[in-house]
Amino acid sequence: MEVDPCEKCEELLQPYLDRELSDAERAEAELHLDTCSYCRKRYRFEEELRRFVRQAAAEEMAPELKLKLSQLRTSLF
Amino acid sequence: MGESPAAFTGPKNDDARVAAMGETTPEADPRKLAEEARDRVRFEEEALDLADQVYRVARRLVSTREEAEDLMQETYSRAFRAWRSFQPGTNLRAWLLRILTNLNIDRGRKQQRSPDLQPLEEGDYYLYNRLEEAGREPNVEQERVDERLSQEDVVAALSAVPHDFRDVVVLVDIGDFSYADAAQILEIPIGTVMSRLHRGRRILKRELADEAVGSA
Repeated sequence: MEVDPCEKCEELLQPYLDRELSDAERAEAELHLDTCSYCRKRYRFEEELRRFVRQAAAEEMAPELKLKLSQLRTSLF
Repeated sequence: MGESPAAFTGPKNDDARVAAMGETTPEADPRKLAEEARDRVRFEEEALDLADQVYRVARRLVSTREEAEDLMQETYSRAFRAWRSFQPGTNLRAWLLRILTNLNIDRGRKQQRSPDLQPLEEGDYYLYNRLEEAGREPNVEQERVDERLSQEDVVAALSAVPHDFRDVVVLVDIGDFSYADAAQILEIPIGTVMSRLHRGRRILKRELADEAVGSA
């Protein structure tokens, strides 16, 4: 049975963005993306989502903790 | 995935062994002692330079800031004792995170783990489709995902992902580790990293959809 090209493209989304696809698979995904705005929108969204998650999840370390970590260093004398 | 391949050897999570390594002294040759002191200082400085990056991952592996801070202190204390077991030239950030994830698992996390083996029907377009159905189609032309989702949504959704999946998502998507590094840090096969990552991201998107537009 013929696989729905958008379903196939959805399956390739994660490895595509992780750059884990073979050249042939990558070419297949890009060929479909060139002609399918449905998938293209969703790929762009996923890319932006990953960027947003990384940024939103970032929490800076308190300066006090950094100081405490420095104090764990072994004394040389 | 900007890291070099992780050909590192992490320390075993064994207090006695680590402590013993820390107590080993080189031969009492002044020149060797000086070299040793210099190597140790360099190691400690490099490890401290990475603390911000290690903390960013640690913070999302656990629920609270306090837990992350305790874990960081324990990790660095152990790393400074076991510094000789680090192979210079390999990936120090991965080595530190291997200590940290081992400690985290040892802290009784196994007890709260329950593998998420429920079927997950949602595909990778799920979040976009849910936003679209709710009349909140993401405007990707303007790249404004932040208009649809808040920082709190992301934090809540991440913390709802079961630990085994979250560990991999956090290491790869927040820590920017390669699949190979994540596999070495967590001591699991690379195929398991890939399957947990795939599933973990889908769970994350389901949680984000629930945060953004309510449960289906």
